[in-house]
Amino acid sequence: MPDALTMAARSIRLSARNIDALITALALPVMLMLCFVYLFGGAIDPGGGYIQYVVPGILVICAGFGAGTTAMSVSGDMSGGIVDRFRSMDVGGTAILAGHVAASMVRNLAASTIVFAVALAIGFRPEAAAGGWLAAVAILLAYVLAVSWIGAAVGLLAKTPEAASGFAFFVSFLPYPSSAFVPVESMPGWLHGFALNQPLTPVIDALRGLLLDQPAGAAPWQALAWCAGIVVAGMVVSAALFRRRIS
Amino acid sequence: MTSVTAAGRRRAGLVTGTFLVARRAVLTFLRTPQLVIVGTVQLVGFLVTFRYVFGGAFGTSRGLPYVDFAVPGFIAAGVPFTLIGTAVVMAEDLQRGFVDRLRSLPFPSAAVLTGRVLADSVVLTWSLAVATLVGFAIGFRLHGSIPQGLAAFGLCLVFGLAFSWVFITLGLVAGNGQAAQGMAMLVFPLTFGSSAYVPVETMPGWLRAFADNQPVTWMANAVRALTLGDRSRDFLGHSAAYYVTHSLIWAAGIMIVFSALAVACFRRS
Repeated sequence: MPDALTMAARSIRLSARNIDALITALALPVMLMLCFVYLFGGAIDPGGGYIQYVVPGILVICAGFGAGTTAMSVSGDMSGGIVDRFRSMDVGGTAILAGHVAASMVRNLAASTIVFAVALAIGFRPEAAAGGWLAAVAILLAYVLAVSWIGAAVGLLAKTPEAASGFAFFVSFLPYPSSAFVPVESMPGWLHGFALNQPLTPVIDALRGLLLDQPAGAAPWQALAWCAGIVVAGMVVSAALFRRRIS
Repeated sequence: MTSVTAAGRRRAGLVTGTFLVARRAVLTFLRTPQLVIVGTVQLVGFLVTFRYVFGGAFGTSRGLPYVDFAVPGFIAAGVPFTLIGTAVVMAEDLQRGFVDRLRSLPFPSAAVLTGRVLADSVVLTWSLAVATLVGFAIGFRLHGSIPQGLAAFGLCLVFGLAFSWVFITLGLVAGNGQAAQGMAMLVFPLTFGSSAYVPVETMPGWLRAFADNQPVTWMANAVRALTLGDRSRDFLGHSAAYYVTHSLIWAAGIMIVFSALAVACFRRS
């Protein structure tokens, strides 16, 4: 545990020193939100209530952006030889990966907080009770944990940080065919099936329902089930890949 | 011996120099598969996303199906997006000393700039052709005549000429590739804050004032009007000639201002 915390602190320090990447990670979701609220919001919902719909989706997207950073930093460590130095100091592989994931959690929460603050400033008004807030934060954390472990696995799979950055592109594309920006019902039939049954839709629907105090149905449980499955898969795959990379 | 020396000293004309520089730039583009593939994939992904993911939510604009509204806008907005690389390449060529090497060759130094513009036109033609084909594949239909459709394509190339000078200027001012990439991001407010993707009437008042009075909106509306043909007035409120005239004035203004700036920056660099 102390090793993992040390590794997490190291990852956070490295992130803080990479100003360009830090600004991009914080600014991109905010820009996306402003773009959809002001440029496309009027076309999607002429009534002006689009901000209430889109913010929960942007919070989830924001969490996803950080996964690309995790993939690149893990890949950078693996190809840079630093892992061998850590292992010579008797730092376990689990601690190295857990450190990256923990740092990703901190980075993503910071980014989500900034996005949320900007959302409040431009008119987002959540109506959740205390229980709703706690559940929403729990689901967001579970999702961040899930994508961070997947990011770590991709970082181990990729030969170079540049190759790992391709994952960031994929993760940033996945929210579009989901309920993040527009209701799934407005999409054509052939896209419906994918949009309804991909992991982001229940996560976003759960977050939206909880933050706006609307009935979320089974979405919160589906979201947690997806996140738990992804975390387990990510951890198992990461462990196997890490062993293979260092053997 | 004398004739060989004379031939060696003879300067190539501006046209020859332009073609040489353009050829090198186009070959560089073709020999970098990721530039061709990534650019094309992004373009296709973008078009498909807006058509199928957002199209249903955006609905129709004055009864015009979203696909017929969006595709001409996408093609017009694709012009500045395609040319972002020009600023980066120009800055890197300058930084690496390649421009100085070109200046030492026996052809007018202006060919460095005109060659870049010609190369941009070739790359842009490819990009616009792909966008047009994808547009037709996802359901866009030309409501005007074929000559009007070709005129819309030609208008995009004219706008490309204008924007090429903008990005050359940015590349010369920036000094390095990363700075040029950052400066070239000005295309985002220009393209998204326009009528390319959604009607400007749906935007808030303060944003609409900007969107109504910037070149990409006129360009998108001109291309859209030409593809709509006689139905342009019904859907857009004015004839194609009205939008085309305004967009050509914008293109000429941009070209005059930025070609002069580019030449001045090039002389100083």
